[in-house]
Amino acid sequence: MKHSSYQLKQAWAGLSVRKGFLVTVVSTLGITLGALLCILTLAYVVIVKPLPYSNQNNLYQLNANLFNDKKEMMAASFTYPSLIHLYENQSVFQQSALVHYGEGVISSLPTQPRVKSTFVTPDWFKLVDSKIEMGRLFEESENKETFNPVAILTYSTWKNTFGADSNILDKTILISGTNFRVVGVLSQSFIEPELNGVGIKTDIFLPWDYNPTNEQVRNSWGQIDQNRRFVGMLDTDLSNNQIEQSLTPLVSDKWQENVAGVEFFSGWYIEMELLPFKKAILGDSQNSVLLLLAGMIGLVLIACANITNLFMSRTAEQHRQLAIQAAVGANKSHLFYTLLAQSGLLVFLSIIVALFVANAGFWVLQHYLEQRMPRVDELAINAVTLGAALLIALLLGLFFARLSTSLVNYRALNSVLQSSGKGTGIQVSQNVRKLLVVSQVAIVTVLIFVNLGLARDSLKIINTPMGFETENITSLTVSFGASGEFSEEEIAAMLAELKSKFKDLPQVDSVSQSLAPFGFLGMYAQTIQATQERMVVETRPVDNAYFSMLNQPLIEGDFFTQSDVQDRNLLLIVNDVYADKIAPQGSALGSKIEMGNSEYTISGVVKGIQMPAAADIPMRAYPVSRVTRTWFMLKLKPQQRLSREQVVSVLEEVNGRIDLMELGSLDNQKVQLLFTQYTTAITSVVLAVLTFFMASIGLFGVVNYTTQMRRFELGTRLAIGAKRADLIGLIVKDNAGAVGIGVIVSVLILLGLSIGFSESLSSYITLQLIPLFVSTLMLIGIIVLYACYWPLRPIINAPPIYSLRNSE
Amino acid sequence: MSEIKIQMKNISKVFETEEMETHALKDVNLTIKAGDYVSISGPSGCGKSTLLGLLGLLDMPSGGEYFVEGVNVSSLSLNEAAEVRNSKIGFVFQSFNLIDEISVFDNIALPLRYRKDKLNTQEIEQRVNKCLELVSMTHRSKHKPNQLSGGQQQRIAIARALVNEPAILLVDEATGNLDSNTGDQIMDVLDELNQKGTTICMVTHESRYADRATTQLKLLDGAILTTPELTSCSALQYV
Repeated sequence: MKHSSYQLKQAWAGLSVRKGFLVTVVSTLGITLGALLCILTLAYVVIVKPLPYSNQNNLYQLNANLFNDKKEMMAASFTYPSLIHLYENQSVFQQSALVHYGEGVISSLPTQPRVKSTFVTPDWFKLVDSKIEMGRLFEESENKETFNPVAILTYSTWKNTFGADSNILDKTILISGTNFRVVGVLSQSFIEPELNGVGIKTDIFLPWDYNPTNEQVRNSWGQIDQNRRFVGMLDTDLSNNQIEQSLTPLVSDKWQENVAGVEFFSGWYIEMELLPFKKAILGDSQNSVLLLLAGMIGLVLIACANITNLFMSRTAEQHRQLAIQAAVGANKSHLFYTLLAQSGLLVFLSIIVALFVANAGFWVLQHYLEQRMPRVDELAINAVTLGAALLIALLLGLFFARLSTSLVNYRALNSVLQSSGKGTGIQVSQNVRKLLVVSQVAIVTVLIFVNLGLARDSLKIINTPMGFETENITSLTVSFGASGEFSEEEIAAMLAELKSKFKDLPQVDSVSQSLAPFGFLGMYAQTIQATQERMVVETRPVDNAYFSMLNQPLIEGDFFTQSDVQDRNLLLIVNDVYADKIAPQGSALGSKIEMGNSEYTISGVVKGIQMPAAADIPMRAYPVSRVTRTWFMLKLKPQQRLSREQVVSVLEEVNGRIDLMELGSLDNQKVQLLFTQYTTAITSVVLAVLTFFMASIGLFGVVNYTTQMRRFELGTRLAIGAKRADLIGLIVKDNAGAVGIGVIVSVLILLGLSIGFSESLSSYITLQLIPLFVSTLMLIGIIVLYACYWPLRPIINAPPIYSLRNSE
Repeated sequence: MSEIKIQMKNISKVFETEEMETHALKDVNLTIKAGDYVSISGPSGCGKSTLLGLLGLLDMPSGGEYFVEGVNVSSLSLNEAAEVRNSKIGFVFQSFNLIDEISVFDNIALPLRYRKDKLNTQEIEQRVNKCLELVSMTHRSKHKPNQLSGGQQQRIAIARALVNEPAILLVDEATGNLDSNTGDQIMDVLDELNQKGTTICMVTHESRYADRATTQLKLLDGAILTTPELTSCSALQYV
């Protein structure tokens, strides 16, 4: 113990006088290991860590997959009556709950905050082990069809929206025209299963009865809504397949019975699918995490190769000191422990830095990828992180110590002293040097190629023209108090007044009473009358100003007129994709489409628009919007802005019961939709640049070391007449073999990846990758040339006597 | 009258550091003619190796003029100096300076690879073999330098220095790393070469080897000493 402490002190004393070495190793290893620990912890949370629910293996979400007569899956959601039928009649699940994800505005608060409200039956809380900070959970008295208006706040809502009011219980909050009495606040430790999408968290839980589904939809067997879920806990010996088979007739038969009179659904059926909670929450994010992990391991390997090189130089530098130790009696294991003390100290310091970096990484992931990566809010330094850190520290410490020891020729140490310290006596074998170059080139080629490929694909998606304008357009949605508070006529009158007031605002150029193109599109069953072909088409009701505001080109026919909207004419504008389907040979104008028991006439064809990140342009139909639609798009004058307060003040002028649900510019919505692509592009470019620089430093280090070792030889060559170009050529030629092998290894790795992940990578593997790979090789070539030339400069730009003299 | 191979006029060399200037050579004047065999000797630090470095264009003088076969080489660029070194000067180092990774043959051929006017393989082979014969090392052409004894390595170094048929052979303590017997053998080789017409300028601190030269220069504190016996030396002009 005493001896270890002495060795550590000696190691620190040695390192403290080599601050450059110390800082370089600790910062390089600290940053890269920190990034690795961060992603390793993420991988643990996403792939290995159980969900924070005691029955996590028995929790399932049940999907109703709707198939058409051609066995094509058309939807994976319930109709409202199907869901209720299942809930009331199933006997497989020991416990089950209904969930409806919605949004609302707390009108009783002065700021009228928009909140995510989730409508559940009481068992929901039992399924996910909900704990409470105060009050209680929902009880049987708040079950389906009790209409008991109570609310449970999440901890963050209680804290942020209600200022952690300790008297919050029994207070009422007004949401969508209903006063809900607060009966509980969930515990801070409660983690909600994100079944409605990554990062989408509930602010307020309300009883199922108050879900905002209107009466018509509650009774419709033909309308599907993706916001509803059936969840439950199984406690049975039956296999998932058996359970699916037993539930399918319960739902499908009932559904078929109720749509028997609708010709459109003839031959359609439902199949039930059990989705484990883990799969429902994580989706395919495990692949993304594994790819991130692979990238990070690559970076750490580059860093380790760089540090290996630094250790070799450091050992060469310490050779004389080691020789003195040997002369006074140190045996081989003494020297190993001396070197281990140094490498251990360095790795220990690096791990401390790495833990700080990992913590910073958690913060970055939680703030920027909360909406993209599941369970990031569970990231924290935990036993796995610490265990991995200790293991990595131990392995790296031993590796660097072993490496340094292997460079010391114990038998030859005496000659170091006998030759008065001339020459280091340490020569790293050519094979080790070649291996370092090969590994660096192989890893850097793969990482740069993959990152450039990802960046290129993301930029391609970002730059794909959408086919319409978003500049200066703001969309907003309003809501009118509680359901049934106003009649349709009253709502239509208020909306007309609102529209007029918006038009009068000095910032506003024009107004359209339509949902913005990025908003949710309805999927409507439609039948082409001429061919009787049935299909489900994305359908968006729009008014007369919609297309001109977006500058979406008209191919033939006309846009809607003001009177079309007023008279609710049964006209339909379709995009060119749909028009080609309706009339492949000629014009679709005048064709008849049956939709919801009404017959529509096609009056116009517009050019199809491509949504951000969408793979293609689907068929779209645009019927005339009703005047009771609560959506607006405002085209603002250049350089003008419209604040939430200004809009709320307009709403209050018309009626104090109108809530502002959503307000945002189309440009922002576009950026949000392209968030993944922007994040991918930035991350991959940053990683590529980081890899490039680390590889540059690494290759420079290896070649520089080699060049310094050959200084005497190079001086001799100069002495016998070699010119600068001769020596540059010599060094480049000597490294070309290792670089070539590195490139071949990288090609093999890429081939292995493309074979191993052929399914997910099939769309990426195209001939266009060849120029990208050539560009990558050119980048590697630049690094290698730089690494070969730069260390040579002091040798070839000075008279040869300096190389000969300095080497002796 | 013999052709002048080397001529130095008022050559000086100053090494500068941040704190001090060291005058390694002061106003050295030296002329070496074809066929001369010159030895330079003196105590440690007197400037022998510095002078030889300047003669071999391994370093550049701080002042004065230096001519090789009548051409002023005092202010050549690094590449021009390399060309002169390659074609006009042969250098033999104390520690041989052979490249261990390549064969004896390739070590000797190395200067030929750096020639401006490239030779074909046959010509290279002829020249290398001729030099190997000169130093009696034909049988070792395929060996690696580290498979040879010190004396053999120095013979190879001499062969390499001669392969481009230089104007002058500069020898820096050629026997410094060898035992006396082997050293004598190397000196015999140099004597023989001189007898065959090779111009030699040799740095040595051993008087018995210095005495073998036809002209003996002594250096002290960076200057060539003027001694009576030196004045009889036809090859030397000094101020």
